Amino acid sequence: MQKLLTTQNIRRITQGLFLLLFLFLFIQTESKGNDELGYPVRLFLDFDPLISISTMLAAHALPVAFLLSLITVVATVLFGRVFCGWVCPLGTLNNMVGSLRKRKPESMPVKWYRWKYFILVFLLVSSVFTLQFVGVMDPLSLLIRSFSVSVYPLFNYAVRAYFDVVYAVNPLGIALLTEPVYDVLKSTVLSFGQSFYVQGVFIGLLFLVILGLSLLEKRFWCKHLCPLGALLGVLSRRAVLSRSVSEGCTSCGACASVCQGNAQPDSKEHWRISECLMCWNCDDICPENAVRFGFGKPRPASPLDLGRRRVIAAAVAGVVAVPLLRVTPLAQANSKNPALIRPPGSLEEKEFLKRCVKCGECMKVCITNGLQPTFMEAGLEGIWSPVLVPRIGYCEYRCTLCGQVCPTGAIKRLTLEEKAKVKIGLAMIDKGRCLPWAHSRPCIVCEEVCPTPKKAIWFEDVKVKDREGRTVAVMQPHVDLELCIGCGICETKCPVLGRPAIYVMSLGESRSRENQLLMPEY
Amino acid sequence: MDRRKFLRSAALAGIGLSFPGGLKQAAEAAQAGPDLAVVQGPSAAAITRAAIEALGGMKKFVSRGDIVVVKPNIAWDRVPEQAGDTNPEVVAEVVRLCIEAGAKKVKVFDRPVNDPRRCYVQSGIAEAARDKGADVIFMDDRKFKDMEIKGIALKTWPLYTEVIEADTVINVPIAKHHGLAKLTMSMKNWMGVMGGSRRMIHQKLDESIVDLARAIRPKLTVLDAVRILTDNGPQGGDLDDVKRLDTVIAGTDQVAIDSYGATLFGMKGSDLGYVRIGAETGFGVMDLAKLNIRKMKV
Repeated sequence: MQKLLTTQNIRRITQGLFLLLFLFLFIQTESKGNDELGYPVRLFLDFDPLISISTMLAAHALPVAFLLSLITVVATVLFGRVFCGWVCPLGTLNNMVGSLRKRKPESMPVKWYRWKYFILVFLLVSSVFTLQFVGVMDPLSLLIRSFSVSVYPLFNYAVRAYFDVVYAVNPLGIALLTEPVYDVLKSTVLSFGQSFYVQGVFIGLLFLVILGLSLLEKRFWCKHLCPLGALLGVLSRRAVLSRSVSEGCTSCGACASVCQGNAQPDSKEHWRISECLMCWNCDDICPENAVRFGFGKPRPASPLDLGRRRVIAAAVAGVVAVPLLRVTPLAQANSKNPALIRPPGSLEEKEFLKRCVKCGECMKVCITNGLQPTFMEAGLEGIWSPVLVPRIGYCEYRCTLCGQVCPTGAIKRLTLEEKAKVKIGLAMIDKGRCLPWAHSRPCIVCEEVCPTPKKAIWFEDVKVKDREGRTVAVMQPHVDLELCIGCGICETKCPVLGRPAIYVMSLGESRSRENQLLMPEY
Repeated sequence: MDRRKFLRSAALAGIGLSFPGGLKQAAEAAQAGPDLAVVQGPSAAAITRAAIEALGGMKKFVSRGDIVVVKPNIAWDRVPEQAGDTNPEVVAEVVRLCIEAGAKKVKVFDRPVNDPRRCYVQSGIAEAARDKGADVIFMDDRKFKDMEIKGIALKTWPLYTEVIEADTVINVPIAKHHGLAKLTMSMKNWMGVMGGSRRMIHQKLDESIVDLARAIRPKLTVLDAVRILTDNGPQGGDLDDVKRLDTVIAGTDQVAIDSYGATLFGMKGSDLGYVRIGAETGFGVMDLAKLNIRKMKV
């Protein structure tokens, strides 16, 4: 009889639990209507030392909860890459996808493992020169972003579409049975409303490619590309939890075929601890029971064998990338992208970019769906950072959730009092499209929805003549630039569809000294 | 109220047939008690109770086993002190009285302008109404159906089927300032059961408000004037714009209620376009002198 409580099974259960924890926290990262959020999925990023290091290097600041990431560091120094093998939810997903393929896949050239170290060197060196690009490839940031912007909206869309069709067609009165199921799903795993994201397809396809690579080779991403894996690999080199192979080894090679990493378990002496995910598959499978994991004197670590020239090349690339990404007119006050409206509490743009790791949590939690991932609006440096697109959703006046979930403080956590004072832009009226201005028809929607206690939109009562020469009284809206905070609800709700008759631009945002319209009072 | 005219328009609206009994009851209620009950006092729940009592009690409007819809104004992400939404204690008391009168189910909902989750929680209405036994639900997009309204401005519009299908509908608005309508009270509260792009109706707002109120026809309306919002409405936010009146006005004629409500702001019913149109088209009575108004303090 096969043993059920093998290390492999314990590991699988642990992985499953962490994946469930991740999904649970992810789903909880949503407003329930209160001012404070319960458990944001940020917790996973808090444990991510790569995010901590790059934030320290790039922004000279500590992430919100960087102490937690030290736990991961200590665990890795002691026990090796247990995080990769037992905890990381992206690793688990890669693991699962890899298992879909029955036939043993081809192994990629062994030396490919070095790529992730070059990526790590590139990212960290560019961090030293203040570029925060780590989030693009950090596995947790990547996972949360992909789930927020693509996977979860897709899941919701599919489930809703199914129940909506059943509800509408109602074959044999079956909706009576499906609706209660739908209600349960709505109160558990579905989002409050369907979200839509620009780039949902693009980011989703990238995510699919990453998972799909596991079909080429199990845990392709973890072995060859993951920069967090590389960092933990470096840290794991003198782990006290180590592996030994006894005399009984017949060099049958069984262990090599089940290795989750790229650790060459069959080569005994040249076993690479930095590539070992501590999955203990080699221990389980060994027919001679010759493999043993245990605590002992740290053995001399096998070299990473990266090649000095290659490391230098990666470092130089990291140096060069910084000015390359920054020679863009977007950094100039006069040629900023006017649509780049950042969430309230965002730091000044340069500081913001040094911290934002593009995890997309702010987009997930934004209750109006207005926060969207950028593409090139903030330059390549700012790809997938949050931008408010008021035609999709506005910034809710009394909501501060984006600042609550931001792991690096790129978006500050604001109190309600602070939030009410932060301008993220200014609204302007397009008099050529506005109903009272251009067409002498009554409309007050922008004023009605304006949330500032004293409304930033005010009316001028005017009498205009219609085509027949009759006098018509209309109220024409104006924006009070002192009071307007740029929340964008006027633009969201403006009944002039397509190009709105009132729109918000980042001009006047309080985080910037340059991007101003009104004469300063100081 | 011209009964034949009403029946015809209700039948045209395709909804009157669903509660012919309710109509009869409402007509009886109007004959028996005062037209309007205006009650003032420090306890929002007590004045709500007293106002409904003065009209003949909730049993007049709610029969045993009824499915009741209580429609407050939950349009904004505001707290009760800001008077952007109906007072939660008023809503809760109406719910409690419905259940006491034997209602099988009391549903409370609105289609907010701000995020529904925040509006429901921050207004205090969700918790207060749930405590008294209501089903506080978020509106379901699939349950808006095109209805023939055949009004002055609105011909057809998607309305919320649960309102149309309910045995009893109770309107529980709050009295507030509004930029275009000047004031929003009971008739305008029905914008909350409109689907589709309701922002368009501001182009013919007064007419649309009358059309809507006519199509819905609640059996009872309880206007919350515990706190009224005198400026920067309908959303408010500045406590200086809030005036505490500790008053509730109950009645069955929405035109009459809104006409009376105008006086709370120092206006007359005739200052409000929709009240004027409502009276002119025979939907209700604007002239307060023609109404039997009972004022009380509790």
